[in-house]
Amino acid sequence: MKHLSKRSRFMSAIAAILFFCMAPWLHADPNEPVANRSSSETQPTAKMSVRFANKDTQEVPNFQKHVMPLLGRMGCNGRACHGSFQGRGGFQLSLFGYDFATDHDALLADNTGRVDTDDIDESLILAKPIDADYHEGGKRMDLDSWQYRALRKWIAEGASFEKTDLEELQALKVEPAEMQFTQSKQTAQLKVIAHWKDGSAEDVTDLCRFSSNNDAVAEIDENGLVTSGETGDTHVVVYYDNAVTPVPVLQRITTQLSDQQQSIAKRVSKQPIDQLVKQKLDKLGIVPSGQCTDAEFIRRVSLDITGMMPSADAVKTFLADASADKRQTLVEQLLQSPGYSAWWATRLSDWTGNNEAQLTNVLPVRNVAGKLWFTWMQKRLEDNLPYDKIVEGIVNANTSEAGESYEQFCKNMTEICSGDFDQFADRQSMPYFWARRNFQKPEDRAIGFAYTFLGVRIECAQCHKHPFDQWSKQDFDDFAKLFAPIRAGNANIIQPENRDTRQALLDKITGGKKLDNGELRRQIYSAARDGKVVPFGELLVNTRGMTDQQKKQRAAAKRKGRKLAPVNIPTGKILGAEQELKLDADPRPALMDWLRDPKNPYFAKAIVNRVWDNYFGIGIVNPTDDMNLANPPSNAALLDHLASEFIAHDFDLKWLHREIVLSDTYQRSAETNATNAADVENFSRHMPRRLPAEVVYDMVMLATGSSQKALQMRGELTSMAIADGTTGARGGSQFALEVFGKSIRESNCDCDRSDSPSLLQSIYLRNDQEMFQRIADRNGWVAEVCKDLGVQGPSGSGNSQQALQTRQAEGLRRQVVLRVASLSKQLAKLPESRREPAMERAKLAYRKQTAKLTKVYEVPSFKDLLKNPKSWSELVQKSSSGSLDDGKVASLEGAVQETYLRTLSRYPDDEEVDIAVDYIRESDSPAKGIEGLVWALVNTKEFIISH
Amino acid sequence: MKLHQTCDGVRRRDMLKLGTLSIGGLTLAGYNKLHAAGKVAPGAAERAIFIELPGGPSHMDTFDLKPNAPDTHRGSFNPISTNVPGIQISEHLPKLAGCMDKFAILRGVSHTLAAHRLGREYVNTGTKPIPALEYPSFAAVMSKEKPSPTEVPDAVAVPKASQGPGFLGIRYSPLETNGQPSFGRPFSVRGISLPGGVGIDEVNRRQSLLNKLDRRFSELEKNDQLLDGLDRFGDQAYSMITSPKARQAFDISQEPESFARQFGEDSFGQSCLLSLRLVESGVRFVTVQLGGWDTHRDNFTKLKDTNLPRLDAGLSGLLNGLEQRGLLESTAIYVTGEFGRTPKINTRTAEGGRDHYPRCMFMLMAGGGVNGGQVIGESDDTASGPRHEGISPDDVAASFYKNLGIDPTLEYNSSTGRPITLVRDGQVIDQLFS
Repeated sequence: MKHLSKRSRFMSAIAAILFFCMAPWLHADPNEPVANRSSSETQPTAKMSVRFANKDTQEVPNFQKHVMPLLGRMGCNGRACHGSFQGRGGFQLSLFGYDFATDHDALLADNTGRVDTDDIDESLILAKPIDADYHEGGKRMDLDSWQYRALRKWIAEGASFEKTDLEELQALKVEPAEMQFTQSKQTAQLKVIAHWKDGSAEDVTDLCRFSSNNDAVAEIDENGLVTSGETGDTHVVVYYDNAVTPVPVLQRITTQLSDQQQSIAKRVSKQPIDQLVKQKLDKLGIVPSGQCTDAEFIRRVSLDITGMMPSADAVKTFLADASADKRQTLVEQLLQSPGYSAWWATRLSDWTGNNEAQLTNVLPVRNVAGKLWFTWMQKRLEDNLPYDKIVEGIVNANTSEAGESYEQFCKNMTEICSGDFDQFADRQSMPYFWARRNFQKPEDRAIGFAYTFLGVRIECAQCHKHPFDQWSKQDFDDFAKLFAPIRAGNANIIQPENRDTRQALLDKITGGKKLDNGELRRQIYSAARDGKVVPFGELLVNTRGMTDQQKKQRAAAKRKGRKLAPVNIPTGKILGAEQELKLDADPRPALMDWLRDPKNPYFAKAIVNRVWDNYFGIGIVNPTDDMNLANPPSNAALLDHLASEFIAHDFDLKWLHREIVLSDTYQRSAETNATNAADVENFSRHMPRRLPAEVVYDMVMLATGSSQKALQMRGELTSMAIADGTTGARGGSQFALEVFGKSIRESNCDCDRSDSPSLLQSIYLRNDQEMFQRIADRNGWVAEVCKDLGVQGPSGSGNSQQALQTRQAEGLRRQVVLRVASLSKQLAKLPESRREPAMERAKLAYRKQTAKLTKVYEVPSFKDLLKNPKSWSELVQKSSSGSLDDGKVASLEGAVQETYLRTLSRYPDDEEVDIAVDYIRESDSPAKGIEGLVWALVNTKEFIISH
Repeated sequence: MKLHQTCDGVRRRDMLKLGTLSIGGLTLAGYNKLHAAGKVAPGAAERAIFIELPGGPSHMDTFDLKPNAPDTHRGSFNPISTNVPGIQISEHLPKLAGCMDKFAILRGVSHTLAAHRLGREYVNTGTKPIPALEYPSFAAVMSKEKPSPTEVPDAVAVPKASQGPGFLGIRYSPLETNGQPSFGRPFSVRGISLPGGVGIDEVNRRQSLLNKLDRRFSELEKNDQLLDGLDRFGDQAYSMITSPKARQAFDISQEPESFARQFGEDSFGQSCLLSLRLVESGVRFVTVQLGGWDTHRDNFTKLKDTNLPRLDAGLSGLLNGLEQRGLLESTAIYVTGEFGRTPKINTRTAEGGRDHYPRCMFMLMAGGGVNGGQVIGESDDTASGPRHEGISPDDVAASFYKNLGIDPTLEYNSSTGRPITLVRDGQVIDQLFS
């Protein structure tokens, strides 16, 4: 794409996206938008295998069009082979072969013998792939095959390539443009025609690479032969030159529907979401699941909107409510609740990369920057500020407010840092996005910016042409240059005009002494802690336009009629833009304008898709941060609709939430039918997913805490993980949150947050000290129930003192066992007469030693232990008294019910009540029994996943 | 389940199919299939013990003495001969001198990062740290590539590890003991040992209650990888908690006293003993820490009275103990701090101290395919830098991986799908293995 203007390229990229997204489902003639270009052109040249079938063919292959694609097709430049960053066998090609000049140099490098125009057949690129000369990669082609002939001919004719020879691929046309199979093991052969700018067209099916986005639905072989597999839909992708073309493949599900399913299938919703989802499902023959129950709904929607499970009372009230619009009412309540802004500020913190460890030393008080970042966003979500406005406050951020002097800025920031976070939330800007340590190099910023606001991974293009998208290394470099002028995150950088003010503030702190950097920082930190006004760093935009001096020189030169060389002002380019942006002014407003422009193909889609993913566990484009040509949306019409309506509603986030959660699609049951059991990406059912780390953490606290504690947590939020907003430092102490995969917000990936289960998670919930401690807490839920039942509460086992006592007791047991063991040997050696008295003495000593243990634990008799010291291998607790009289069973049932409501947000069925009550009654004590019940419920799958 | 496509076109889903839900993640065989052959070479060692010396131990007072250096540099310690002719080490390491044949000394190892955290990240990964991406610890790579049988954890850190799993993700984190064992005392660990007041019987009762109550979704389980995974992890956790094997591996009090005593009776020595028991029971990677090396002041007293006797007893005990148990040939050992210390003695205190000095340091290697009884590399007359071309932490990491049978040029994908070479710039030090 070296010659094509950027504008047309950008537009064609959009066209491509729109085409591939919309066409298969909505256009009557899906070929139309691209295909019409070539209709008037000449017939395409035949396939290369046909042209080179003849030994004497005179055609000289072209390096760009034929030689490199051929090598790519044979796998030479794959990552496991010569495309590896180290190369293989001393020979390195650009990954997937987009860097023609470098590859040509590598092939023709002196003294390597790879291409030998004198002794053609000795050229290693001929001898190696036919395995005549030992080739680690094995045989890739046959001697005298068409491939061999083509490569040989190219070498024989001088193995030439000039950079200026590069030609522009205008369109890559694939036939058929979409495939519908009716059963498995059907096949279809793709035919691929390349249309070049000079008007020529060639059948390049022999030269393409092919891949399938889901092998289970459609396999594609190296020749472009598609074979159908299971029912469902996916895309196969064709790669040639710099084109990436996905082709939809679909196989309808043909299952007889039950009456109930038919009625669901016929149900019509007015909601556009439902209609668009249905269009796709109908095409696939999938019938969606029915509606979820009220209990499932209140739990699901509360967790998804507010990150908090509903309280037991809220569940009871909701279930008892008979009004028809109660789901709607609930949604409104949730969107107004503080949990909404807390949870979504956490999600926005994930996507914007709010990471305390990357903000060390940005502010003179530690562990504040991340909190400010979070609070600032929380406030805006609470006020429901439009999404583009929130982003504007981040992208265009300045450290000082308009009209705020440096001194006043420092004064305000000092107040803020000493705890007045709300004051920060009222400021216009949130500049710490730019201040992160891992967001300083222009390239890192290009990657991070695209990740956060566009949901695009351009990092591949940092080293080589993006294999799945149109971005070249040049595009990446041009984009990255835009970020070079911004300087942020250094506490010592300020506007030149503020230097004196800063010095005066410093002098007040240091008493005018000159200190080294470390000491100065310590003194500033300590002054800030004492509430003294300290200097703060500023965000600068170093625009490197003409300096004043240069302007003067120029003016002088003009007067004197002298000529000066033009000032070299750096430039950069917005992704896909044709125009260069001169960096003589802050480039960020232009970036922001581009982001919020309704024509921007990514900005609105990225956030809409991420919000959708929060509700469905999978994005319409999935993964949510990887929008590219080869990764088309599963339902393009749906994504387009949501994005354009979101823009039309002025980026109103609450509109988006409402639109989604009030749809039938969101309110589907998790129960599957024969047609949708395998569906994961068409939203035909609720897909259970493991709840996010912070949510799980809070749920455990809420489920195990007393009613009062839970009420307090819900009211204040401050002790809850969803409202914490920060990340621990690398290797920090938030053990449980880390284990459950809280986002580290570090590597520009939505997968920084993990929802995978792990062994450590299971061990934590089952057997961690913290869990036992919470369940058996003297002020916890179990204690509260015991108090209500009038029985003895939990002993507080699990607290550290108890643990210590247990350890001591265990140590004592071992000592005693060892002693008895050695005693038994000694006794055996004694003469009979002395044995008896010695035993008596030992028995007394034994009783004395074990006196402490007998209170709590079962202790074997001395005689038994003497016979077999190994028999006492573990401390076993004595069963304690405090059993439940029959009169309390009714209230016990109530307690079981309540425990279910506060863990699983539903009433238990009769059988569950029986199991639980039996368990409690058979336990050593009611307290132990209820502890066991709480333990079991938080360890069910039902607790940890969405319903 | 998210599907991530990586820069080279490998889909995360393909990996998932091969079972990231299994205990140690993706199987090695599966990974190889995806990434073509040649990733893993047969190695001698099946397990590893990594001994971290955080703080940065002085090289000139331990394994790289310069008795002829000027008084401003030399220090007060004298060299002694070892059981390998021609190799001398500090007089305060007599036990290690007695088993010099079992380990190799690397001298003149050199890098440029003089801050603790950065230096540590470097030597613990073999790649110079960059802010954008955190590389995985050796332990995490081992857990991923060679997971343990189910009942014991893949990797354990005593008491903690300074390097995390980086981009490989939390599931490859070692189990941290948080505490250290004491001589002759039983030792228990978070999550594995049963907390106070809950016995095995109670755990079994609770488990059977859980089995009865955890039945919603049972219809869905056949099709759902998540539900299936949760079940499997639950079962594994249950067996790890209730099986005596894991708990016994941590219980150093089960060792005969005479065997335990040769490690030294302090917490480091007993941690070394614990590491031996753990690798013996199937744990793949154990990290042991011995701190206190940041000797800016009173360098010599601290080393002579505390650190060197502890290191001497613990490490010699470990080497001898592994040999006695027949494990030395299959256990790779790597000992390192984050840097050396300044050859010139500072005079801030009467006795003098040494400051951070990455340009010249020592490292130790033993076990597996490593030939003991040799010195590799050399520092100059004042131990201020390597005499010839220095050894880099990258080289040592590459060699350590090689010793573990893991190809150091193995390529991973970061979470965003970038291809990342495990040890980007390291060359295996062949001499270690010959």
